[in-house]
Amino acid sequence: MVLVLGAGCCFVKGYVVEHLLHFRLLAKLSQGRMFSFVSKRLSLMMMTKVCCFQRNFSSALPPLVPVKLPSKMETHFWYVLPDEVKSESLLSQYSELLSPREKKNLYHMQGDQFKKSALLARVLVRTTIARYQTNCQVNPRSLKFKKTIYGKPEVDWENGDKWCPPPLHFNISHTSSLVACGVTVNVPIGIDVEEKQRRLKNKILAFAKRYFSPDEVKLLTAISDPEIQRQEFIKLWTLKEAYVKAVGRGFSAAPFNTFTIRARVVKMGGFHHFDTQHSEASEIVVESSDDPENLTRNWQFALLDLAGSHYAAICIEKENSAGGEAGVPMRLTVWKTIPFVEDERVSGTGAVVPISGLIKQL
Amino acid sequence: MATFSAITSVIFAPSLKPSLSNNVIAERTSNLKMAIGGWRKNRFPSLKTNRFCVSCSAKPETVQKVCEIVRRQLALPAETELTSESKFSALGADSLDTVEIVMSLEEEFGIGVEEENSQNITTVQEAADLIEKLVEKKAA
Repeated sequence: MVLVLGAGCCFVKGYVVEHLLHFRLLAKLSQGRMFSFVSKRLSLMMMTKVCCFQRNFSSALPPLVPVKLPSKMETHFWYVLPDEVKSESLLSQYSELLSPREKKNLYHMQGDQFKKSALLARVLVRTTIARYQTNCQVNPRSLKFKKTIYGKPEVDWENGDKWCPPPLHFNISHTSSLVACGVTVNVPIGIDVEEKQRRLKNKILAFAKRYFSPDEVKLLTAISDPEIQRQEFIKLWTLKEAYVKAVGRGFSAAPFNTFTIRARVVKMGGFHHFDTQHSEASEIVVESSDDPENLTRNWQFALLDLAGSHYAAICIEKENSAGGEAGVPMRLTVWKTIPFVEDERVSGTGAVVPISGLIKQL
Repeated sequence: MATFSAITSVIFAPSLKPSLSNNVIAERTSNLKMAIGGWRKNRFPSLKTNRFCVSCSAKPETVQKVCEIVRRQLALPAETELTSESKFSALGADSLDTVEIVMSLEEEFGIGVEEENSQNITTVQEAADLIEKLVEKKAA
Protein backbone atom coordinates (compact mmCIF):
# COMPACT_ATOMS: atom_id res chain seq x y z
CA MET A 1 0.00 0.00 0.00
CA VAL A 2 1.56 3.23 -1.12
CA LEU A 3 0.60 6.41 0.66
CA VAL A 4 1.48 9.36 -1.48
CA LEU A 5 1.19 12.76 0.08
CA GLY A 6 -0.50 14.32 -2.91
CA ALA A 7 -3.62 16.29 -3.33
CA GLY A 8 -6.08 15.16 -0.74
CA CYS A 9 -7.45 15.81 2.64
CA CYS A 10 -5.82 15.39 5.95
CA PHE A 11 -7.58 15.54 9.27
CA VAL A 12 -5.43 17.09 11.89
CA LYS A 13 -6.81 17.99 15.26
CA GLY A 14 -10.25 18.50 13.83
CA TYR A 15 -9.14 20.81 11.07
CA VAL A 16 -9.82 19.78 7.54
CA VAL A 17 -6.84 20.68 5.49
CA GLU A 18 -6.46 20.58 1.82
CA HIS A 19 -3.10 20.14 0.28
CA LEU A 20 -2.80 21.69 -3.06
CA LEU A 21 0.71 20.65 -3.79
CA HIS A 22 1.89 17.29 -5.01
CA PHE A 23 4.70 16.65 -2.64
CA ARG A 24 6.15 13.84 -4.67
CA LEU A 25 7.59 16.52 -6.89
CA LEU A 26 10.06 17.22 -4.13
CA ALA A 27 11.80 13.95 -4.85
CA LYS A 28 12.13 14.71 -8.54
CA LEU A 29 13.70 18.13 -8.20
CA SER A 30 17.29 18.81 -9.10
CA GLN A 31 17.95 16.25 -11.78
CA GLY A 32 20.64 13.97 -10.42
CA ARG A 33 23.14 16.52 -9.18
CA MET A 34 25.76 15.23 -6.80
CA PHE A 35 24.75 15.79 -3.26
CA SER A 36 26.59 18.74 -1.80
CA PHE A 37 26.32 20.46 1.47
CA VAL A 38 25.89 23.98 0.28
CA SER A 39 22.84 24.83 2.28
CA LYS A 40 21.22 27.24 -0.10
CA ARG A 41 17.46 26.84 -0.12
CA LEU A 42 15.73 26.34 -3.40
CA SER A 43 13.16 28.98 -4.13
CA LEU A 44 10.12 27.84 -2.22
CA MET A 45 7.84 29.02 -4.95
CA MET A 46 6.16 25.66 -5.12
CA MET A 47 5.76 25.41 -1.38
CA THR A 48 4.00 28.73 -1.08
CA LYS A 49 1.14 27.31 -3.06
CA VAL A 50 0.34 25.03 -0.17
CA CYS A 51 -2.80 26.12 1.58
CA CYS A 52 -2.41 24.43 4.85
CA PHE A 53 -4.24 25.67 7.87
CA GLN A 54 -2.67 23.45 10.37
CA ARG A 55 0.46 24.29 12.28
CA ASN A 56 3.35 23.30 10.08
CA PHE A 57 6.69 22.30 11.49
CA SER A 58 8.75 24.19 9.01
CA SER A 59 7.33 26.43 6.36
CA ALA A 60 8.26 23.97 3.66
CA LEU A 61 7.77 20.40 4.76
CA PRO A 62 4.38 18.74 4.79
CA PRO A 63 3.17 16.93 7.89
CA LEU A 64 4.26 13.37 8.54
CA VAL A 65 1.70 10.68 8.11
CA PRO A 66 0.96 9.58 11.67
CA VAL A 67 1.17 5.92 12.60
CA LYS A 68 -0.24 4.06 15.56
CA LEU A 69 2.26 2.82 18.10
CA PRO A 70 3.15 -0.82 17.73
CA SER A 71 1.22 -2.99 20.13
CA LYS A 72 3.12 -4.79 22.86
CA MET A 73 3.68 -7.78 20.66
CA GLU A 74 4.70 -5.88 17.54
CA THR A 75 7.88 -4.57 16.03
CA HIS A 76 7.98 -1.75 13.51
CA PHE A 77 10.91 -1.46 11.13
CA TRP A 78 11.45 1.58 8.93
CA TYR A 79 14.13 2.00 6.32
CA VAL A 80 15.37 4.53 3.79
CA LEU A 81 17.42 3.85 0.67
CA PRO A 82 19.74 6.86 0.31
CA ASP A 83 20.00 6.32 -3.44
CA GLU A 84 16.29 7.06 -3.72
CA VAL A 85 16.71 10.46 -2.08
CA LYS A 86 18.14 12.60 -4.85
CA SER A 87 16.67 16.03 -4.25
CA GLU A 88 19.18 18.51 -2.92
CA SER A 89 16.47 20.77 -1.64
CA LEU A 90 14.87 17.93 0.27
CA LEU A 91 18.22 17.01 1.77
CA SER A 92 18.74 20.63 2.69
CA GLN A 93 15.37 20.69 4.40
CA TYR A 94 16.24 17.46 6.18
CA SER A 95 19.36 19.02 7.60
CA GLU A 96 17.22 21.77 9.11
CA LEU A 97 15.61 19.14 11.33
CA LEU A 98 18.86 18.33 13.07
CA SER A 99 19.99 19.69 16.42
CA PRO A 100 23.07 21.95 16.46
CA ARG A 101 25.17 19.10 17.80
CA GLU A 102 24.00 16.70 15.09
CA LYS A 103 24.73 19.30 12.44
CA LYS A 104 28.20 19.79 13.87
CA ASN A 105 28.88 16.03 13.84
CA LEU A 106 27.70 15.86 10.27
CA TYR A 107 29.93 18.73 9.28
CA HIS A 108 32.98 16.83 10.46
CA MET A 109 32.18 13.68 8.54
CA GLN A 110 34.20 12.79 5.51
CA GLY A 111 32.77 11.35 2.34
CA ASP A 112 29.58 12.47 0.60
CA GLN A 113 27.90 9.08 0.59
CA PHE A 114 28.65 8.51 4.23
CA LYS A 115 27.52 12.01 5.18
CA LYS A 116 24.24 11.50 3.34
CA SER A 117 23.45 8.24 5.09
CA ALA A 118 24.40 9.77 8.45
CA LEU A 119 22.01 12.66 7.77
CA LEU A 120 19.25 10.28 6.76
CA ALA A 121 19.80 8.22 9.89
CA ARG A 122 19.13 11.25 12.09
CA VAL A 123 16.17 12.30 9.96
CA LEU A 124 14.73 8.79 10.02
CA VAL A 125 14.89 8.46 13.78
CA ARG A 126 13.44 11.93 14.37
CA THR A 127 10.60 11.63 11.89
CA THR A 128 9.78 8.05 12.86
CA ILE A 129 9.40 8.89 16.54
CA ALA A 130 7.46 12.04 15.67
CA ARG A 131 4.92 9.96 13.72
CA TYR A 132 3.83 8.07 16.78
CA GLN A 133 2.60 11.10 18.72
CA THR A 134 -1.08 10.82 17.91
CA ASN A 135 -2.32 12.88 20.86
CA CYS A 136 -0.33 15.95 20.12
CA GLN A 137 1.89 16.79 17.23
CA VAL A 138 5.55 16.51 17.83
CA ASN A 139 7.97 18.48 15.75
CA PRO A 140 10.76 16.12 14.69
CA ARG A 141 13.16 19.00 15.07
CA SER A 142 12.27 19.50 18.70
CA LEU A 143 12.95 15.94 19.81
CA LYS A 144 15.84 15.62 22.18
CA PHE A 145 17.99 12.59 22.66
CA LYS A 146 20.21 11.43 25.45
CA LYS A 147 22.28 8.37 26.21
CA THR A 148 21.95 5.89 29.03
CA ILE A 149 24.97 5.46 31.26
CA TYR A 150 25.99 2.63 28.95
CA GLY A 151 25.82 4.83 25.89
CA LYS A 152 22.59 3.59 24.35
CA PRO A 153 20.61 6.41 22.72
CA GLU A 154 17.07 7.13 23.92
CA VAL A 155 14.52 9.92 23.68
CA ASP A 156 14.72 12.68 26.25
CA TRP A 157 11.05 13.50 26.77
CA GLU A 158 10.84 16.99 28.12
CA ASN A 159 7.19 17.91 28.18
CA GLY A 160 5.22 18.96 31.22
CA ASP A 161 3.95 16.63 33.92
CA LYS A 162 0.54 16.06 32.34
CA TRP A 163 2.29 14.41 29.44
CA CYS A 164 2.98 10.73 29.82
CA PRO A 165 5.60 9.74 27.30
CA PRO A 166 4.96 6.55 25.39
CA PRO A 167 7.12 3.60 26.46
CA LEU A 168 8.72 3.70 23.05
CA HIS A 169 12.04 1.99 22.33
CA PHE A 170 14.06 2.47 19.20
CA ASN A 171 17.37 1.52 17.66
CA ILE A 172 19.06 2.58 14.44
CA SER A 173 21.63 1.13 12.13
CA HIS A 174 22.97 2.27 8.82
CA THR A 175 25.30 1.49 5.98
CA SER A 176 26.03 3.90 3.15
CA SER A 177 23.24 2.30 1.14
CA LEU A 178 20.51 1.64 3.70
CA VAL A 179 19.36 3.41 6.84
CA ALA A 180 17.04 1.65 9.29
CA CYS A 181 15.14 2.31 12.49
CA GLY A 182 13.34 -0.30 14.59
CA VAL A 183 10.61 0.60 17.08
CA THR A 184 8.95 -1.33 19.87
CA VAL A 185 6.81 -0.53 22.87
CA ASN A 186 7.74 -1.64 26.37
CA VAL A 187 10.64 -3.87 25.38
CA PRO A 188 14.18 -3.01 24.30
CA ILE A 189 15.16 -3.47 20.68
CA GLY A 190 18.46 -3.73 18.84
CA ILE A 191 18.92 -3.83 15.07
CA ASP A 192 21.82 -4.16 12.71
CA VAL A 193 21.96 -3.95 8.94
CA GLU A 194 24.86 -4.94 6.74
CA GLU A 195 25.41 -5.07 3.00
CA LYS A 196 25.17 -8.63 1.76
CA GLN A 197 28.28 -8.08 -0.32
CA ARG A 198 30.35 -6.83 2.62
CA ARG A 199 33.84 -8.24 2.55
CA LEU A 200 36.25 -8.42 5.45
CA LYS A 201 39.79 -7.13 5.13
CA ASN A 202 40.92 -9.83 7.52
CA LYS A 203 40.47 -13.57 7.02
CA ILE A 204 37.04 -14.71 8.16
CA LEU A 205 38.14 -17.62 10.31
CA ALA A 206 40.95 -15.62 11.90
CA PHE A 207 38.41 -12.93 12.73
CA ALA A 208 35.90 -15.45 14.05
CA LYS A 209 38.52 -17.18 16.19
CA ARG A 210 39.44 -13.85 17.68
CA TYR A 211 35.92 -12.53 18.31
CA PHE A 212 33.26 -15.22 18.05
CA SER A 213 32.41 -18.07 20.41
CA PRO A 214 34.02 -21.51 19.92
CA ASP A 215 30.71 -23.03 18.75
CA GLU A 216 30.29 -20.32 16.16
CA VAL A 217 33.84 -20.81 14.93
CA LYS A 218 33.12 -24.51 14.59
CA LEU A 219 29.98 -23.78 12.59
CA LEU A 220 31.77 -21.41 10.22
CA THR A 221 34.77 -23.71 9.82
CA ALA A 222 32.45 -26.49 8.71
CA ILE A 223 31.34 -24.45 5.69
CA SER A 224 33.59 -25.32 2.77
CA ASP A 225 32.28 -22.87 0.19
CA PRO A 226 34.04 -19.56 0.90
CA GLU A 227 31.18 -17.45 -0.42
CA ILE A 228 28.60 -19.22 1.74
CA GLN A 229 30.98 -18.97 4.66
CA ARG A 230 31.28 -15.23 4.11
CA GLN A 231 27.50 -14.84 3.95
CA GLU A 232 26.97 -16.85 7.11
CA PHE A 233 29.63 -14.78 8.82
CA ILE A 234 27.87 -11.53 7.93
CA LYS A 235 24.52 -12.91 9.08
CA LEU A 236 26.03 -14.00 12.36
CA TRP A 237 27.70 -10.63 12.81
CA THR A 238 24.42 -8.73 12.37
CA LEU A 239 22.65 -11.01 14.83
CA LYS A 240 25.34 -10.60 17.43
CA GLU A 241 25.40 -6.83 16.94
CA ALA A 242 21.62 -6.63 17.22
CA TYR A 243 21.75 -8.59 20.45
CA VAL A 244 24.43 -6.40 22.04
CA LYS A 245 22.55 -3.28 20.96
CA ALA A 246 19.29 -4.62 22.38
CA VAL A 247 20.92 -5.45 25.70
CA GLY A 248 22.21 -1.90 25.57
CA ARG A 249 25.22 -2.19 27.81
CA GLY A 250 27.94 -1.83 25.21
CA PHE A 251 30.43 -4.18 23.69
CA SER A 252 32.28 -4.85 26.90
CA ALA A 253 29.22 -6.01 28.85
CA ALA A 254 28.61 -8.78 26.37
CA PRO A 255 31.88 -9.59 24.62
CA PHE A 256 31.15 -11.37 21.40
CA ASN A 257 33.01 -14.52 22.35
CA THR A 258 30.95 -15.07 25.50
CA PHE A 259 27.70 -15.82 23.72
CA THR A 260 26.61 -18.07 20.89
CA ILE A 261 23.78 -17.39 18.49
CA ARG A 262 22.35 -20.26 16.56
CA ALA A 263 19.23 -21.36 14.78
CA ARG A 264 17.16 -24.04 16.38
CA VAL A 265 14.40 -26.01 14.79
CA VAL A 266 11.26 -25.54 16.81
CA LYS A 267 9.44 -28.54 18.26
CA MET A 268 11.91 -30.95 16.86
CA GLY A 269 14.67 -30.61 19.38
CA GLY A 270 18.33 -30.53 18.53
CA PHE A 271 20.23 -27.77 16.80
CA HIS A 272 20.38 -26.86 13.18
CA HIS A 273 22.48 -24.73 10.93
CA PHE A 274 20.76 -21.70 9.38
CA ASP A 275 18.20 -23.27 7.13
CA THR A 276 16.78 -20.98 4.55
CA GLN A 277 14.16 -23.37 3.26
CA HIS A 278 12.41 -23.79 6.55
CA SER A 279 12.75 -20.28 7.91
CA GLU A 280 9.36 -20.40 9.50
CA ALA A 281 10.34 -23.41 11.49
CA SER A 282 13.68 -22.29 12.82
CA GLU A 283 14.05 -20.13 15.86
CA ILE A 284 17.19 -18.14 16.63
CA VAL A 285 18.45 -18.43 20.16
CA VAL A 286 21.30 -17.00 22.14
CA GLU A 287 23.23 -18.86 24.78
CA SER A 288 25.72 -17.25 27.07
CA SER A 289 28.70 -18.99 28.54
CA ASP A 290 28.80 -16.31 31.24
CA ASP A 291 25.20 -16.57 32.16
CA PRO A 292 23.66 -19.98 31.67
CA GLU A 293 20.53 -18.73 33.45
CA ASN A 294 17.33 -17.36 32.00
CA LEU A 295 18.55 -14.00 30.82
CA THR A 296 19.43 -15.22 27.39
CA ARG A 297 16.11 -17.01 26.95
CA ASN A 298 14.33 -13.65 26.98
CA TRP A 299 15.52 -12.55 23.57
CA GLN A 300 13.78 -13.00 20.28
CA PHE A 301 15.48 -12.63 16.89
CA ALA A 302 14.62 -12.15 13.26
CA LEU A 303 16.98 -12.22 10.31
CA LEU A 304 15.81 -10.77 7.02
CA ASP A 305 17.02 -10.26 3.49
CA LEU A 306 16.08 -6.62 3.02
CA ALA A 307 15.62 -4.91 -0.34
CA GLY A 308 17.69 -7.64 -1.95
CA SER A 309 20.85 -5.89 -0.81
CA HIS A 310 21.12 -6.16 2.95
CA TYR A 311 20.91 -8.54 5.84
CA ALA A 312 18.89 -7.06 8.69
CA ALA A 313 18.86 -8.52 12.16
CA ILE A 314 16.32 -7.55 14.79
CA CYS A 315 16.52 -8.50 18.44
CA ILE A 316 13.81 -7.72 20.98
CA GLU A 317 13.18 -8.74 24.53
CA LYS A 318 10.27 -11.07 25.02
CA GLU A 319 7.47 -9.53 27.02
CA ASN A 320 6.81 -12.35 29.44
CA SER A 321 9.63 -12.91 31.87
CA ALA A 322 8.90 -16.59 31.85
CA GLY A 323 10.97 -16.44 28.69
CA GLY A 324 11.47 -19.77 27.11
CA GLU A 325 8.11 -20.23 25.43
CA ALA A 326 9.14 -21.52 22.05
CA GLY A 327 7.28 -21.01 18.83
CA VAL A 328 5.92 -17.48 19.33
CA PRO A 329 6.74 -15.46 16.22
CA MET A 330 7.88 -11.85 16.11
CA ARG A 331 5.06 -9.80 14.65
CA LEU A 332 6.75 -7.46 12.24
CA THR A 333 5.66 -4.57 10.03
CA VAL A 334 8.20 -3.06 7.64
CA TRP A 335 7.99 0.27 5.83
CA LYS A 336 10.22 1.73 3.19
CA THR A 337 10.09 5.49 3.49
CA ILE A 338 11.28 8.82 2.20
CA PRO A 339 10.26 11.04 5.14
CA PHE A 340 7.63 13.64 4.19
CA VAL A 341 7.42 12.25 0.69
CA GLU A 342 6.43 8.64 0.58
CA ASP A 343 5.73 5.68 2.85
CA GLU A 344 5.34 2.18 1.52
CA ARG A 345 4.49 -0.80 3.66
CA VAL A 346 6.69 -3.59 2.30
CA SER A 347 6.25 -6.37 4.84
CA GLY A 348 5.02 -9.46 3.08
CA THR A 349 6.48 -8.34 -0.24
CA GLY A 350 9.65 -9.39 -2.03
CA ALA A 351 11.51 -6.54 -0.34
CA VAL A 352 11.44 -8.41 2.96
CA VAL A 353 12.47 -12.05 2.80
CA PRO A 354 12.73 -13.89 6.12
CA ILE A 355 15.91 -15.91 6.41
CA SER A 356 15.73 -17.18 9.92
CA GLY A 357 13.78 -16.72 13.11
CA LEU A 358 10.08 -17.03 13.77
CA ILE A 359 8.51 -14.07 12.00
CA LYS A 360 4.95 -13.13 11.22
CA GLN A 361 4.82 -10.23 8.81
CA LEU A 362 1.91 -7.83 9.11
CA MET B 1 44.09 38.48 34.93
CA ALA B 2 47.24 40.08 36.24
CA THR B 3 45.74 40.89 39.61
CA PHE B 4 44.51 37.37 40.08
CA SER B 5 47.80 35.74 39.27
CA ALA B 6 49.66 38.26 41.38
CA ILE B 7 47.58 37.27 44.39
CA THR B 8 48.20 33.59 43.82
CA SER B 9 51.90 34.14 43.33
CA VAL B 10 52.07 36.03 46.60
CA ILE B 11 50.25 33.37 48.55
CA PHE B 12 51.49 30.17 46.98
CA ALA B 13 54.91 30.91 45.67
CA PRO B 14 56.60 33.32 47.99
CA SER B 15 59.89 32.83 46.17
CA LEU B 16 58.50 34.62 43.13
CA LYS B 17 59.15 38.31 43.07
CA PRO B 18 55.86 39.98 43.86
CA SER B 19 55.24 42.72 41.39
CA LEU B 20 52.89 44.53 43.70
CA SER B 21 53.76 46.91 46.46
CA ASN B 22 52.55 46.22 49.98
CA ASN B 23 49.76 48.77 49.62
CA VAL B 24 48.28 46.97 46.68
CA ILE B 25 48.48 43.64 48.44
CA ALA B 26 46.67 45.05 51.45
CA GLU B 27 43.99 46.43 49.20
CA ARG B 28 43.45 43.07 47.60
CA THR B 29 43.27 41.15 50.87
CA SER B 30 39.52 41.44 51.07
CA ASN B 31 39.26 39.83 47.68
CA LEU B 32 41.47 36.97 48.74
CA LYS B 33 38.75 34.56 49.75
CA MET B 34 36.91 35.04 46.52
CA ALA B 35 40.12 34.69 44.56
CA ILE B 36 41.07 31.44 46.29
CA GLY B 37 37.56 30.12 45.85
CA GLY B 38 37.76 31.01 42.19
CA TRP B 39 41.12 29.36 41.89
CA ARG B 40 39.86 26.13 43.38
CA LYS B 41 37.22 25.87 40.72
CA ASN B 42 39.67 26.29 37.87
CA ARG B 43 42.56 24.12 36.94
CA PHE B 44 45.96 25.39 37.77
CA PRO B 45 47.08 27.08 34.55
CA SER B 46 50.34 25.22 34.08
CA LEU B 47 48.72 21.77 34.04
CA LYS B 48 46.88 22.57 30.86
CA THR B 49 46.52 19.12 29.38
CA ASN B 50 43.53 16.98 28.49
CA ARG B 51 44.79 13.95 30.29
CA PHE B 52 46.48 14.13 33.64
CA CYS B 53 48.87 11.37 32.76
CA VAL B 54 52.58 11.44 32.94
CA SER B 55 53.28 9.52 29.72
CA CYS B 56 52.81 11.81 26.80
CA SER B 57 51.47 11.08 23.33
CA ALA B 58 52.52 8.06 21.34
CA LYS B 59 55.50 8.13 19.00
CA PRO B 60 54.84 9.60 15.58
CA GLU B 61 55.78 6.29 13.93
CA THR B 62 53.02 4.53 15.86
CA VAL B 63 50.49 7.16 14.87
CA GLN B 64 51.65 6.82 11.28
CA LYS B 65 51.22 3.05 11.31
CA VAL B 66 47.73 3.40 12.80
CA CYS B 67 46.81 5.87 10.08
CA GLU B 68 48.00 3.44 7.41
CA ILE B 69 45.90 0.63 8.84
CA VAL B 70 42.83 2.85 9.17
CA ARG B 71 43.25 4.16 5.64
CA ARG B 72 43.52 0.62 4.30
CA GLN B 73 40.56 -0.70 6.29
CA LEU B 74 38.23 2.12 5.34
CA ALA B 75 39.58 2.36 1.78
CA LEU B 76 39.93 6.10 2.18
CA PRO B 77 40.74 8.09 -0.93
CA ALA B 78 44.19 9.71 -0.94
CA GLU B 79 42.76 13.18 -0.51
CA THR B 80 41.00 12.33 2.77
CA GLU B 81 42.86 14.03 5.57
CA LEU B 82 43.91 11.70 8.34
CA THR B 83 45.42 13.06 11.53
CA SER B 84 45.91 11.80 15.05
CA GLU B 85 42.71 13.58 16.06
CA SER B 86 40.64 11.89 13.33
CA LYS B 87 37.62 10.09 14.74
CA PHE B 88 36.84 6.69 13.27
CA SER B 89 33.12 7.37 13.27
CA ALA B 90 33.62 10.57 11.28
CA LEU B 91 35.64 8.65 8.68
CA GLY B 92 32.75 6.30 7.98
CA ALA B 93 33.81 3.39 10.18
CA ASP B 94 31.00 1.23 11.45
CA SER B 95 31.32 -1.27 14.28
CA LEU B 96 32.64 -4.01 12.03
CA ASP B 97 35.29 -1.65 10.64
CA THR B 98 36.37 -0.63 14.12
CA VAL B 99 36.73 -4.24 15.24
CA GLU B 100 38.68 -5.04 12.05
CA ILE B 101 40.96 -2.08 12.70
CA VAL B 102 41.59 -3.27 16.25
CA MET B 103 42.36 -6.76 14.96
CA SER B 104 44.78 -5.42 12.36
CA LEU B 105 46.49 -3.33 15.03
CA GLU B 106 46.81 -6.38 17.25
CA GLU B 107 48.49 -8.31 14.44
CA GLU B 108 50.72 -5.43 13.45
CA PHE B 109 51.99 -4.72 16.95
CA GLY B 110 51.73 -8.19 18.48
CA ILE B 111 49.35 -7.16 21.26
CA GLY B 112 45.94 -8.18 22.58
CA VAL B 113 43.24 -5.55 23.15
CA GLU B 114 40.50 -6.32 25.65
CA GLU B 115 36.90 -5.53 24.73
CA GLU B 116 36.60 -2.77 27.33
CA ASN B 117 39.56 -1.02 25.80
CA SER B 118 38.57 -1.46 22.20
CA GLN B 119 35.29 0.26 22.94
CA ASN B 120 37.17 3.34 24.08
CA ILE B 121 39.27 3.70 20.97
CA THR B 122 37.54 6.40 19.00
CA THR B 123 40.42 8.30 17.44
CA VAL B 124 43.76 7.51 15.85
CA GLN B 125 45.56 9.06 18.82
CA GLU B 126 43.69 6.92 21.33
CA ALA B 127 44.53 3.81 19.35
CA ALA B 128 48.22 4.75 19.18
CA ASP B 129 48.37 5.55 22.91
CA LEU B 130 46.76 2.26 23.84
CA ILE B 131 49.09 0.34 21.53
CA GLU B 132 52.19 1.84 23.13
CA LYS B 133 50.85 1.14 26.59
CA LEU B 134 50.22 -2.50 25.70
CA VAL B 135 53.56 -2.88 23.93
CA GLU B 136 55.31 -1.51 27.01
CA LYS B 137 53.39 -3.81 29.29
CA LYS B 138 54.29 -6.77 27.11
CA ALA B 139 57.97 -5.87 27.10
CA ALA B 140 58.02 -5.49 30.89
